[in-house]
Amino acid sequence: MSYELSVNGRRESVDVPGMTPLLDVLRDELSLRGAKKGCAEGRCGACTVRLGDRTVASCLLPVAVATDEPISTVEGVAAPDGPLHPVQEALLECGGVQCGACTPGMVMTLCDLLEADPDPDAQSVRQALVGNICRCTGYHKIVEAALSAAAALREAR
Amino acid sequence: MSIVLTRPEVRHASSVEEAVGWLAELGAGAAPLAGGTWVMRAEQRGEPLTQTYVALGRVPELRAVTGTDPVVVGALTTHTALAGLAGPPALDALRQAAHHSAFPQVRNVATLGGNIGARGFVEADLVPALLALEARLVLAGPDGRATVDLTNYLADRDARPAGEIIVAAELPVATTRRSGYARLTVRGGGEYAIASVAISVDAAADGTVTDARVAVGSVEPLARRCPAAEAALRGAPLSAVTARAAGAAAAAECSPRSGLDAPGWYRTAVLPGLFERAATRAGHDVVTTEA
Repeated sequence: MSYELSVNGRRESVDVPGMTPLLDVLRDELSLRGAKKGCAEGRCGACTVRLGDRTVASCLLPVAVATDEPISTVEGVAAPDGPLHPVQEALLECGGVQCGACTPGMVMTLCDLLEADPDPDAQSVRQALVGNICRCTGYHKIVEAALSAAAALREAR
Repeated sequence: MSIVLTRPEVRHASSVEEAVGWLAELGAGAAPLAGGTWVMRAEQRGEPLTQTYVALGRVPELRAVTGTDPVVVGALTTHTALAGLAGPPALDALRQAAHHSAFPQVRNVATLGGNIGARGFVEADLVPALLALEARLVLAGPDGRATVDLTNYLADRDARPAGEIIVAAELPVATTRRSGYARLTVRGGGEYAIASVAISVDAAADGTVTDARVAVGSVEPLARRCPAAEAALRGAPLSAVTARAAGAAAAAECSPRSGLDAPGWYRTAVLPGLFERAATRAGHDVVTTEA
């Protein structure tokens, strides 16, 4: 079955069975390998992408139900030749990237949080990250990075 | 169940009647698809998929929330939307259950109807809340529509007729009614509940509980009402003491299941504490409770 998707602003056409997880389509069909298959059951957040205006676990989303809204992945948060997104920059600056497996999901969740709440406190950041596991357990640095990115984004306004 | 050689295909229905027609025609070879968050875990857990899924996401009727008493909530309403559902304190247990269930990335997709209809999903958070709220389900099938008590639906959930889908849940919201929900998880938030408790009470002007509905989830293979616990709450104002007594009564009337997350005795041992927490939350806005 052929499906038309909008991924990071580009139209993509894929020919896969409808129950294929969006994550597999992104990684195997479209070579977008930022989102990771961690647990494959919606508990770790490494596969987090945005569908329309919300974050979703792409491992649990059948591609057939991902065609009606634009999809954005970590590959789309900054322009290919441009500077990193402030969230990405802050994660690097603050030491919020260790092995990197959780980072794409963290970036998507934090971008989503900072759009909804430009000035979160540490508790709100932790609350927002409840669905993203860092297997290196480097949460403090990630929370610091989120607060730093929030400040940078407010300043840039 | 026939052997599935490739991943199943998906058909998009544009109306309730179309979905019902296809599902009735395809019989055991098809199932309805809402958010997909439960069924997409089937393969990983060695459970069979069916050949065809009938996606309901393009049926606007299933997303509608209408009415004031009862509040009628469309089956495709997501957990995130349910957490922000407008309505009186009678609905607090449902809002709290939706808000604390799983993780944001799942709550943004997983639906009311999916939570009720998912076979084998013993930890479903919305189900005990809906039982305590005395929810009735609007069902659509080849013979038309019918409204049934959630309790009756659950009793034969695994043997429902082909072609039947959940259209909406009707939630009565008496002004004297307050409700609260609590769940215990291994991690601080999200995850599947080891046990969950929903309490809904009607109180007289002096606070005396005149009627109570209590449901426990994740303890037995299917969420259930607990009549002994309900009796224990009647006749006195809702307090930590009455809630704990009701929890002890519920523990005595449940036959707990064992699992990797917890042995059976543990699920009932935590009930008095969870009852107290649920009672504390009754009548409180979801945002005042921790994750």
